[in-house]
Amino acid sequence: MTSKSLCVTRLIEERKLWRKDHPYGFWARPLKLPNGDMDIMTWQAGIPGKEGTDWEGGVYKLQMTFTEEYPQKPPKCKFVPPLFHPNVYPSGTVCLSILNEDQDWKPSITIKDILTGIQVLLNEPNPDSPAQEKAYYMYMRDKESYIKQVKQQAKDNAE
Amino acid sequence: MERLSNLKQVLGKKLFDKVENSRILMVGSGGIGCELLKNLVMGGFKNIEIIDLDTIDLSNLNRQFLFQKQHIGKSKSKVARQSALEFNPNVNIIAHHDNIKDPQFNIKWFKSFDIVMNALDNLDARRHVNTMCLAANVPLIESGTSGYTGQSTVIKKNVTECYECQPKPTPKTFPICTIRSTPNTPIHCIVWAKNYLFAELFGKSEDNNEINDEVTEENNTEIENLKKESQALKELFKLAGKPEYSEKVFEKIFNLDILRLLRMENLWKTRTKPKPIDNEQYKKALEINMEMDNNNNDSKTKDNQKIYTLEENINIFKNCFEILVQRQLKGKEVDPDFSMSFEKDDDVIMKFVAATANIRAHIFHIEQLNRFKIKEIAGNIIPSIATTNAIISGVIIMDAYKILNNQLEDCNTIFLTRDSSNVFVNEFLSKPNPRCAVCRKSYFVLTVNIEKFTLNDLLNKVLMSPKDKNGLALNGDITICEDQRILYDFDFDDKLNDTFSKVKIEDGKCLNVTCDDDDKMYNVMIYVINNR
Repeated sequence: MTSKSLCVTRLIEERKLWRKDHPYGFWARPLKLPNGDMDIMTWQAGIPGKEGTDWEGGVYKLQMTFTEEYPQKPPKCKFVPPLFHPNVYPSGTVCLSILNEDQDWKPSITIKDILTGIQVLLNEPNPDSPAQEKAYYMYMRDKESYIKQVKQQAKDNAE
Repeated sequence: MERLSNLKQVLGKKLFDKVENSRILMVGSGGIGCELLKNLVMGGFKNIEIIDLDTIDLSNLNRQFLFQKQHIGKSKSKVARQSALEFNPNVNIIAHHDNIKDPQFNIKWFKSFDIVMNALDNLDARRHVNTMCLAANVPLIESGTSGYTGQSTVIKKNVTECYECQPKPTPKTFPICTIRSTPNTPIHCIVWAKNYLFAELFGKSEDNNEINDEVTEENNTEIENLKKESQALKELFKLAGKPEYSEKVFEKIFNLDILRLLRMENLWKTRTKPKPIDNEQYKKALEINMEMDNNNNDSKTKDNQKIYTLEENINIFKNCFEILVQRQLKGKEVDPDFSMSFEKDDDVIMKFVAATANIRAHIFHIEQLNRFKIKEIAGNIIPSIATTNAIISGVIIMDAYKILNNQLEDCNTIFLTRDSSNVFVNEFLSKPNPRCAVCRKSYFVLTVNIEKFTLNDLLNKVLMSPKDKNGLALNGDITICEDQRILYDFDFDDKLNDTFSKVKIEDGKCLNVTCDDDDKMYNVMIYVINNR
């Protein structure tokens, strides 16, 4: 019962920080379970596509799963439903260096940093770490269809 | 009695009496625990409680000397008690075959001891005991060993650093991208075989607990396609029991998936391309006749040291895979949700993981390891040596004498090193880290009738109530959590009028309360004791 207290305390802090200040169009909150409980280790968030990009208009739903080792380790971030994007795994999991313990994750990275980081990734995919074949392919070879699909996805995810 | 009269001379009557009257809790009765319990019963301690949730395994016997062959499968704490009583029957030992995290081991119980000694092997339990000892304000002697090295230290609230004052290095995990797409060390292949492949085929798949309701509404064909791709292995499961199943699975993981990776050219700009194994190679490999299932111990040892050829690994894959599928199908007949988890001591599972890890290593041009080494890595086996445990247990007992003699300031953190010129390295105990989120908290005990007391009562009669009315006088945004549940905060007051028992805050539960007063965060822990 007590081993989680470190990460729970940090997440309570994060929730308060978010309440005080969060970027326009984003939302993030702990998940409410069917039994009415609120689970602070699982958050749901909405990331808006940046204005002026093909992603504009959509708000993409992300689930963040924290472990007891947070903030030593990053949360797992997963688009639900999975997103059409070169750096998103078919399961929806996001492949991004700040979410990777061995690369750029630091315990000081806040939930706001993560969500804005993913927002940037949406329109600036990293071709060096492809995670899904289809989106990666289209992005590399058929930009036109890629953009079409991204725009359609934005429409489907309009709030 | 003669033995103890010597001890009495060494310790002096005053300390000897204190030792005799002290109550000691020893958490864990494995490697360090066996040595430590021996020291306790031979060292004048008379009231000892021990707790361990584990049972005795064959592999414990080389160093946990209180256990013998006939004890295999029995409770560690109970057998340790029996064995220790044999060489000193004049002590009281209470043995619990339980988890230290169980609610009956509450703060009141912890308060009943003079010293708590950890003889644990995992982070989670160590953190728990650390917190309980801080809350109960009981000194804790914390220790651990790994191979030839070990350490011991003393933790006391407000006096020393606690277990959490310095961040601990967490066990290494690997990024999903490296494991799934671009492995470059043997460990990456082992993690893939154990945590991805074995789990996907035989375990509970994580995708089962995905929230998928929104996907069904979605008419986007692309998303359906993506889902299919991740489901491909599960789709193949339809073939389970049929002869072609193993071939199809092999093709999927060692051919099709690799071909798919190869198509992402950017991955291979700076890396060597993997080489998929095609069906022909697979079939050809199966033509060689391999002697399987050797129960001869000699050859088993040899097999474990051996590096197999690709053909041999393919044979082992097929053989073990089919056995595991049979197990899975049988299990599912009884329970449709049947699943297996990785078990390093299960020969078939271990062989399967080793063979698939090595086949993957072959494909990615990575060094292959023998099964013995793979078992050590996959099973997180930390070598444990009886002598090291004995030395550290000696250090623990010396610290216990000092604590009982009110000389806590003379205790040190002691490191046992491999440097022969400086075997023990002593370090003064550090002061608490003022920013520690665990030991800088305040701890309170709240005794209430959980059937009547509501969250609202907690808020108004305890947390926000002024100090002269025995309240905590908190002022600001309050959040109340239990474990990982938020029970109340600025945006969530659904449960305010519920009683503690309705929201499952029972005897022994602990509430984590934070209060945000503009620029300061207060954090208090409240232990609930039910008063019927």
